[in-house]
Amino acid sequence: MIDRNQLRNIDWGLIGLLILNAAIGIAFIYSSSHYLPGNYALKQFFWFLAALAGLFVLLSINYRVLVAYSLYFYTVAIIILASVLLFGRLTAGTKSWIVLPFFQIQPSEITKILVILVLAHIFSSYTKSSLSLGHGLLSILVVGVPILLVGLQPDLGTALTYLPILLAVFVVVGLKKRTVIVLVILALLLGVLGWSVFLKQYQKERITTLLSPGKDPLGAGYQTIQSKIAIGSGGFLGKGFKKGTQSQLRFLPARHTDFIFSVIGEEFGFVGVVGTFLLYFLFLARLFQSVSKARDREGVFITYMVSVMIAFQFFVNVSMTIGLFPIAGVPLPLISYGGSSLIANFLAISLVINVRMRRFVNV
Amino acid sequence: MKKEKKIYEDLTPFQVKAQITLIFVAFLFLFLTFFLWKVQILDYTKYWRQSEANRIREIILPPQRGLIKDRNGEILATNVASFQVAIIRENSRDIDRSYQRIAQLLDLELPVLQERIDKYRFLPEFQPIVIKDNLELKEVSQVKARQEEFPELVIQAGPRRKYLYQTLAAHVIGYLQEISQIEIGESGRNRRLGDLVGKTGIEREYEHLLVGKEGRILEIVDSLGRRRGEISRVDPVPGQNIDLTLDFALQSKAEELLEGKEGAVVVLDPRTGEILALASFPTFDPNKFISRFSPEEWLTLLKDPEFPLENRAIRGLYAPGSIFKLTMALGALDSRVVNEWKTFYCTGSTRIYGHPFSCWFKGGHGSVNLSNAIKHSCNIYFYQVGKLMGIQEIAKYARMLGLGALTGIDLPGEKAGLVPDPEWKRRVRNEPWYPGETISVSIGQGPIQVTPLQMAAQTALIANRGTGIVPYLFRKNLTERKEAAHVDIQETVFEKVITGMWRSVNENGTGRAAMVQGLDVCGKTGSTQVVSTATAEKLGEDKKIVRTHSWFSGFAPKDDPEIVITILVEYGGMGGATAAPLAKEIFRLYRENHDR
Repeated sequence: MIDRNQLRNIDWGLIGLLILNAAIGIAFIYSSSHYLPGNYALKQFFWFLAALAGLFVLLSINYRVLVAYSLYFYTVAIIILASVLLFGRLTAGTKSWIVLPFFQIQPSEITKILVILVLAHIFSSYTKSSLSLGHGLLSILVVGVPILLVGLQPDLGTALTYLPILLAVFVVVGLKKRTVIVLVILALLLGVLGWSVFLKQYQKERITTLLSPGKDPLGAGYQTIQSKIAIGSGGFLGKGFKKGTQSQLRFLPARHTDFIFSVIGEEFGFVGVVGTFLLYFLFLARLFQSVSKARDREGVFITYMVSVMIAFQFFVNVSMTIGLFPIAGVPLPLISYGGSSLIANFLAISLVINVRMRRFVNV
Repeated sequence: MKKEKKIYEDLTPFQVKAQITLIFVAFLFLFLTFFLWKVQILDYTKYWRQSEANRIREIILPPQRGLIKDRNGEILATNVASFQVAIIRENSRDIDRSYQRIAQLLDLELPVLQERIDKYRFLPEFQPIVIKDNLELKEVSQVKARQEEFPELVIQAGPRRKYLYQTLAAHVIGYLQEISQIEIGESGRNRRLGDLVGKTGIEREYEHLLVGKEGRILEIVDSLGRRRGEISRVDPVPGQNIDLTLDFALQSKAEELLEGKEGAVVVLDPRTGEILALASFPTFDPNKFISRFSPEEWLTLLKDPEFPLENRAIRGLYAPGSIFKLTMALGALDSRVVNEWKTFYCTGSTRIYGHPFSCWFKGGHGSVNLSNAIKHSCNIYFYQVGKLMGIQEIAKYARMLGLGALTGIDLPGEKAGLVPDPEWKRRVRNEPWYPGETISVSIGQGPIQVTPLQMAAQTALIANRGTGIVPYLFRKNLTERKEAAHVDIQETVFEKVITGMWRSVNENGTGRAAMVQGLDVCGKTGSTQVVSTATAEKLGEDKKIVRTHSWFSGFAPKDDPEIVITILVEYGGMGGATAAPLAKEIFRLYRENHDR
């Protein structure tokens, strides 16, 4: 399993950055929820411990083995997603949760990792320099099925986070110009169709209020406005830990989950935001650099897809809090409260480390 | 591994793509940094203000309004605790649904509620608008219990005005109503819509003293409007108490006597001008106007044909009738048109300027001098005196004795009345003065108009032998009080007129019904025709309008007078029969209270 060499090759730097980001998360979860019942910070700490344990457990399994068996895991995950949809209980308006005796998990988060593994599997032996129609459709299918199931829950935010995985595949395999054009047209068509058929009224409102949040300050624009007020009123140095009026007085919605970045912005100001950016950039850079350390196609695909997925979520979340993107329910990876998301991201990064630490091993 | 793999496969193209992606990511970071620079540094002030406005709520602490007391410290107007519920529109997520739910919760009619809020729609969203006041405790707890559901509702506690004796001295005290937009502009003080202000009476006259200064709390609230802390607090300063000159016993008596009539009573102290009682009937209960939400009651009173809201004592305009004979007598003696021995012969009627004029006593008074003319209220005597004096002289003396001008009482809305003369007639009616009108005016008929208070003030001037008074209600208001002039008429002239008044009451004259044992009452009655004699005969005796207004004005004791009483009863009939007995009751009460 793991020998001494491999242990030495574990990317401790990346793990360090991971822990640092998670610690920041726990701190701001505490700041934005200490006055609420539920001990969110403590819970997140336990999730963090579980995620870290999961990360090391997963490291012990060679990623190639995981890739080889990925289709089975994937199939099981799809069945779980479908049954959640069929038998799941509505929680906060969606059927995205599996309620266990002591905690709830969102299978849609973990499924993302399996999608990545399956795609790595499919493309491990693909040697053409650009994407063929068959493989293109196959990868759309692999990503599309969970998107559809998650989208029906309806959890549009999580469904959205599947898209960068597909995008990463397209980029890394390479597309002909013609394919790009076809895809753009297809995306536009889907967009129009999605807008008129699939999106619910509140989702449409979220998008329209993005363009003019002031139009309906107490309705759909409320969250965006309160979030911008929180960040803007933080100024250069911020109002201080636990002193953000927007979050402490609950003007800010979803403070410890989707809008935790606004809490950072309010309480630690521009300095805090730029600090978070720097830390995150180091973290993402480390992830992207891992692509260069991969010694096979599986490794490349895994590391690249994980990197793009996390970067995408990060940018969507931050853009959302400052009113540049519709409020989509995408958490800030590693920082926002939420066990499923935290574990999923830790496991995804575990795969990256897995690839990296086995770069010298030729098994 | 299931299959053989090329270990050294060239993965460089992928690595390049990853590097390019990373550069793209770096650019995104840079872009977001610049954007946040704009939001957090450039637009900082704007967002900071918004966040402050979000969290700070100003609560106005209404001051205790000053109490209003009578001269012996009896509290007439006080404050009691009261709860009201207000809406903060800002805290409502769906305002139209809110209205419906609130209307249901508070048992209000939706249109009434909406109209109410509509009235204040231009106020900032965070300012509470009172939508129901004088809540019962049950309603308060109902709102409190459902605060989570109704974050837009707040319960405000505050003092509420209460008039302890309901209708007592209602016209003097006045009442409160919500401030109007115009009054806010005029006040210059920090008043706002929704405040209650004195609309009439003492409440209005001394609003600036009574109101006090409001306090305010700046407090921190969360997004549900729940209080989280306090930033600053300025306590309210209670308003000043107003000690009135009114005497509770005399005021009660005056109102009791007027019960069921329309009229006014003024009782004052001629030595100072202190008003001891000032009553007007019909009256009203000012407690009923304080609520913002039952204007119907008020509107009903406004439309009442008997005008219960009008303070007849200072705003009712009546011909003075025979009381004006005192003015005439003073003028005639002073201008030496007649002396006290001069007599005229009364046969009950006479012709002057070709018109018939009659005395009220059809049988005639025979030969009458000044003293008898006052005692018997002989019309013929004063017709002759008036003819001799002429309208200009009459008007001059009427004005000298305070008619046609405000007495200066510290109540809003006092009317000045009218002293007619040819100049006035030309100006207002564009007609010449007819000599016959002079004869009518000589007995206080015709266009001449006075208020009961003016009559009381003139009576005080007579009682003081020429020293006028400015009647007042607020005892401590010495600095603002105007000095009334001393009229330039010899004291002996007053003595002669006063003798006539004394005889009218004490020697079986027209004022005999006002006689009180042991108190030298001097007085004069009056009966004012409301319609002409001819019209009266046409209408017949049963019509109320046919009856004369009944006057009495007098003072006591004859030497060193202490009290002046003026009474007017609309359509009361003869002054001697209706007004004088009422005066007697008050004189008697005064005497009893002062003998003790």
